[in-house]
Amino acid sequence: MNATTFETFRTELAGLAGRAPRSTLTDAERVARAKAVIRRRVDGRNAAYLETCLHCGMCAEACHFYVGTGEAKYTPIYKVAPLRRVYRREIGPMRWWYRLVTRDISAAELEAFQELVFDSCTECGRCDLMCPMGIQISPMIGIMRQALTAAELAPAEYRAVKAEQTTAKKDLGIGPAEIAALAARLTAEGVKVPVDAAKADIVYFATSLDVRLFPESVKDAARIFNRLGASWTLLGRSAELLGTGESNTEVNVTGIVAEAEQRGAKILILPQCGHAYPRMRFEAANILARELPFEVLTIAEYIGRQLKNGKLKLKPIAGRPKVTYHDPCKQGRHGGVFEEPREAIKSLGLDLVEMESHGRTCYCCGGGGGQFLIDRAQRLRQRTFEIKMHEADATGAKSLVTSCNSCRYNFLAGAAQASWHTEVQSLVELVGRQLAD
Amino acid sequence: MSLLDFARGPAFHVAILIFVFGVVWRLVGVFLLRRNRDLSPARAGHLLEGGMRAILMRSLPPHELEKHIVFQHASGYGWHIAYFAAFLLFGPHMPFIRQFLGFTWPTLPNTWCLALAAIALALLIVLLLRRIVNPVLKRITSVDDYISSVVTMLPLITGIAANAHVQLFGVRYEELLALHVLSVCALLIWFPFGKLMHLFLAFPARFQAGVLLQRKGVEA
Repeated sequence: MNATTFETFRTELAGLAGRAPRSTLTDAERVARAKAVIRRRVDGRNAAYLETCLHCGMCAEACHFYVGTGEAKYTPIYKVAPLRRVYRREIGPMRWWYRLVTRDISAAELEAFQELVFDSCTECGRCDLMCPMGIQISPMIGIMRQALTAAELAPAEYRAVKAEQTTAKKDLGIGPAEIAALAARLTAEGVKVPVDAAKADIVYFATSLDVRLFPESVKDAARIFNRLGASWTLLGRSAELLGTGESNTEVNVTGIVAEAEQRGAKILILPQCGHAYPRMRFEAANILARELPFEVLTIAEYIGRQLKNGKLKLKPIAGRPKVTYHDPCKQGRHGGVFEEPREAIKSLGLDLVEMESHGRTCYCCGGGGGQFLIDRAQRLRQRTFEIKMHEADATGAKSLVTSCNSCRYNFLAGAAQASWHTEVQSLVELVGRQLAD
Repeated sequence: MSLLDFARGPAFHVAILIFVFGVVWRLVGVFLLRRNRDLSPARAGHLLEGGMRAILMRSLPPHELEKHIVFQHASGYGWHIAYFAAFLLFGPHMPFIRQFLGFTWPTLPNTWCLALAAIALALLIVLLLRRIVNPVLKRITSVDDYISSVVTMLPLITGIAANAHVQLFGVRYEELLALHVLSVCALLIWFPFGKLMHLFLAFPARFQAGVLLQRKGVEA
């Protein structure tokens, strides 16, 4: 990726907020819509968590936004305070009591929580590991995000993306035409990329970030599929799976599942994308209320499996350079993909030095969950990126490998600002370039 | 009817009724709520094992997390252990326990229990002060936290005073004992309304977190 492409994309993101549609909802409508989402989504599992919280504050120490800034408002459990109040007043068994001693949520309060659930939470789930009661806070942040989205109180950037997805059927400027153009270019360069093939065992798709910034990752994924002689196709749709609201998520998930089913797919492989993986792997079946007829893997997981079963062979990189690996939260902590990328790193002959927080306790890149879209959150992102930077520096590695292009973008943006010179590398691209005969 | 008779009689019976009814109401209310079924295939099996492991291992988070919460952990587990030991291993409590359970168990010397109660009280006071001054705790503290702290401390204060035969503001032993029993009544009455319910909900919450994370192939 050249510097101009990167800067153009950053400038475009900075102007995204200006393209958000105006909301015409009244305060009462906002509250009603937010509460309707909370009432629908909070189930017995969330209830047990909400009833058990001790207000001990330990979750703060797991959150990169609190650790990076020291600001108490970023305490994870505090971020779901409105949800908890709606639960207590309208859902929980003691609602008769809480209606007497607490007040209802207001539109102003919901608006004030926008910064807490979008700017300063990436749903990374690190707090879910810290809580001594086992409270899973990040799924409740997800409900809060959906509630605010329904109330048209999501940040302007999210609303702009959602509007673009809904009206132009594009995501950050990428639609079927751009994907087809990329596939044609890569095919012309000698790497065959079939798009929307009628039948395929493997269905793969590219995100807008892949097309805009990291087309090499599509090219190298194609090289891997082709080398394995797989029957595969790239989907000609760009629909992202952003957690910006139930409506878009449902539409996107439904569309992707339908397209994979049409092609008789046995495996749906997610690209180097963070949020797409848990959405398709663990949530899609629940959204559709039926089991999926195909397996869902992330590309790093697929590569690791093919290496382990000996179908894929790699040429080791000369000199056994020292690298560290960043576990994308949505693939690792939310998806259990830890071993497979490490299997690939081992097969590449790299000297892996783990950061202090790695695997399930890995710190977020700082911009996950779509947070990198929010222009005003730049300061927060940089503070959290610095945590990562210090952990990576402590390994002595001159190169950081990851298997998520959102994380990669955040690292590149953070590095540019902090003049950090560690090389940020893509797992799929490293593998694609080292394929052995 | 003396204050002690009132405390041991009607007050205690009413408190027990509110406690039992309230706890059952709240537990049943939570466990009867609909649970969304998970239709995605689990990444790892042994879900129940994952849940059971979480019940135990949640007390021992990985080092990179634990190093930030050493004080909270040590003080939290410290006061709970001291509190329950002082309650369950104190000889004079045994007649009361026999009345409920029909049997008793060996006890610790009274002075040991007094020391344990003092440790629990000291830790609770430190944690309460911390709650008042720590910015994170101030942000998430509610009235429930203060009431729960006070009703948890009162049996310790009155118990230590009664056991040591301390003349608090000229109050006689029988009256101190009555205040001790009344403080337990306050604890029982408040119990179903606030966060003390974690005594019954902590393990189920840990268990379901363990099952959830096991499904994803992540150690809880």
